[in-house]
Amino acid sequence: MLYIHQTYCISPQQDLLQDDIERINEVDDKKLLSIEPSYEKIPPGILRRMGKSIRMGVGAALPLMAESNAIDGIIMGSANAGMDDCVKFLNQIVQYEEGQLTPGSFVQSTGNVIAGQLALISKNKGYNITHIHLGLAFENALLDAMMQLNTNPSNAYLVGGVDEISPFHYNIETLAGSYKKEDISNKNLYGSDTEGCIVGEGAATFMVNGSADGAIANVKAISTLHSTDKDLVKQQLNLFLQKNLPVGSTVDLFLSGENGDKRTLPFYEANETLLADDTSIVRYKHMTGDFATASALGLWYACQFAKTQQIPTQMFKKKASKTIYHNILLYNNFKGLQHSFILVSNF
Amino acid sequence: MGVVSAIGNSVAENHEALKAATCGIQYKLDLFPSKYAGILPFGQVHISNEDLLKTLQVTDLGVTRTSLLALYALNQALADSGISTETIQSFDTALIGANTVGGMCLTDELYNDANQKTDGSDYLGSYDCASVNLFLQKHFKINGIINTINTACSSSANAIMYGAMLMNNGYAKRAIVGGTDSLAKFTINGFNALHILSNEICTPFDEGRKGLNLGEGAAWLILEKEEDIKGRKVYAELTGYCNTNDAYHPSSLSDEGDGPYLSMQGALKLANLTADKIDFINAHGTGTENNDQVESRAMIRLFETPPAFASTKGSIGHTLGAAGAIEAVYSILSLVHQEVYPNLHFNNPITAAGLTPVTTYKKMPVNHVMSNSFGFGGNCSSLIFSKA
Repeated sequence: MLYIHQTYCISPQQDLLQDDIERINEVDDKKLLSIEPSYEKIPPGILRRMGKSIRMGVGAALPLMAESNAIDGIIMGSANAGMDDCVKFLNQIVQYEEGQLTPGSFVQSTGNVIAGQLALISKNKGYNITHIHLGLAFENALLDAMMQLNTNPSNAYLVGGVDEISPFHYNIETLAGSYKKEDISNKNLYGSDTEGCIVGEGAATFMVNGSADGAIANVKAISTLHSTDKDLVKQQLNLFLQKNLPVGSTVDLFLSGENGDKRTLPFYEANETLLADDTSIVRYKHMTGDFATASALGLWYACQFAKTQQIPTQMFKKKASKTIYHNILLYNNFKGLQHSFILVSNF
Repeated sequence: MGVVSAIGNSVAENHEALKAATCGIQYKLDLFPSKYAGILPFGQVHISNEDLLKTLQVTDLGVTRTSLLALYALNQALADSGISTETIQSFDTALIGANTVGGMCLTDELYNDANQKTDGSDYLGSYDCASVNLFLQKHFKINGIINTINTACSSSANAIMYGAMLMNNGYAKRAIVGGTDSLAKFTINGFNALHILSNEICTPFDEGRKGLNLGEGAAWLILEKEEDIKGRKVYAELTGYCNTNDAYHPSSLSDEGDGPYLSMQGALKLANLTADKIDFINAHGTGTENNDQVESRAMIRLFETPPAFASTKGSIGHTLGAAGAIEAVYSILSLVHQEVYPNLHFNNPITAAGLTPVTTYKKMPVNHVMSNSFGFGGNCSSLIFSKA
């Protein structure tokens, strides 16, 4: 059983525990850019050479690792970590016609660079892995941690999800039609009725172990699926709930990954038909934007709600009368193909 | 099992070439224009993209060589196992694949798309590493868990591990595990900028080694639980695995080789074997100054007198994200045929280590084989395969 003890988040929004929780930062040139901390725990010499996803990932992990005793491994999920350095190096290859190149960007371009840097900085020689399966990269990282803890319940792991809006990746995804063409405010994301999402970025990290003692939340189950058929997705969610929801209980809160893209909306609407009348529905992608590992930020929100039982009013799609959020279901859909269900409880 | 590499397009061809000590590394690179073509040696697979597309009957646009090599090897593995289409599509069949290059083999297309010099090529969805397994998902209509892992050059060893973990934890009844990578201008220039590419055919574990040669290929294995085998063919048992980090440097291993030492030790522990039970080590043995020295040091630390060992990088080059899976197939061939394959191009032991790898093909009793894979970012993984 996987218990979450600490969380850290870098996102386009403020921390939910501070300030005015109803305030929403808005898009800047169609992008929801993360608010980065000062990264005091990253040695300055190393920080200077880090691309944004690398410093967000490392920067979100080190504060948790500093607060914990020795951990047994680092498990990251990132679809495109290192992508920016990758294209930087590629540009060098083309511009200098394969001449004498500097290897810095090449070394930073490998997908495992965040977990590798974390091991290096913290001298952690334990389990170390990076899952990069696009819209299920973070889900596989979480599943990996669940399996590690199932085998070694006394262990502790750092699990994280991170991706950035790199200029080159943004260009490719723009050409591919992933983002909204029109200028709209993220505050109006869900009423847009057009194709595409608003792109975002961020990192969320979780210190997890097998002990309920002092934990914020418990990840009870996770399931993933590749399909373009909304009926199959709904059928699988139904099976997931039958198998994993305790008998006699319902989902108190549905944390929806709805992203304002009219191509993925039918999946969310189909799944919502499975919910009970007293299930509240909350959305977060108008705050985080969408990206391959946005579900890591979704889990971060779930942990905050499980802990504080407070949800900003502006996040509700449907507010049910019940105000105790015990069973939280997350559903995320990436590009209409990659689906995940995560059941979180505050036990 | 299925495999494609510079020494053969099937398991049988690879097996014959290993026995015959055939070197597949040549001063030949005709997949794309590069100033290093003809100057540096490479382990290129002897099938063109056109022939791959034709043989595999792939008509989709935007499919990369990395994906085509993966499908080519996977078709073999599926045919070899006799697994039905229905079983492939079952919700309890997982597909876990690794690669590090993805669509980066298309250097020029990516350059143009990433810098918005065009309206977009056919490859917009093919650059990231996940694109390979998404292509396979679509091709075979897979419903079970699918994952892509990148731990640099140890990636596919971890894909094998992850598949085994899914089965042990009840998330899958069977797992299709493997890796693929194709030669790319990107990796050629990257490793060259690090000054670890040899301009001669690589000589793993040799005192005079000058660096690695890049290769390409793919391999897949199908894992099933013992209780589900029901009399069908079994090649070997995966008895041990371990993943660690050397935590020393982004692109080289520590002098003492803590990462490699700990991964080998952890795999032994999981397999419940003492070090003396390992008959053969399929070493990572890239032919770089750093890797071979450190791997030797770590083997001596753990085994005192290491068992017979060899690297096949002198036969096929370093296939990066495919290496762990291809070498898993080679390790299993050693178990099935009770034989070991030579480490090519070896002349003199590394002075500081004094270790001599197996240099000729020979028959010998092989009950347990350890296979090592180490990568950038300090990632180290060891697998142990045992005689079925």
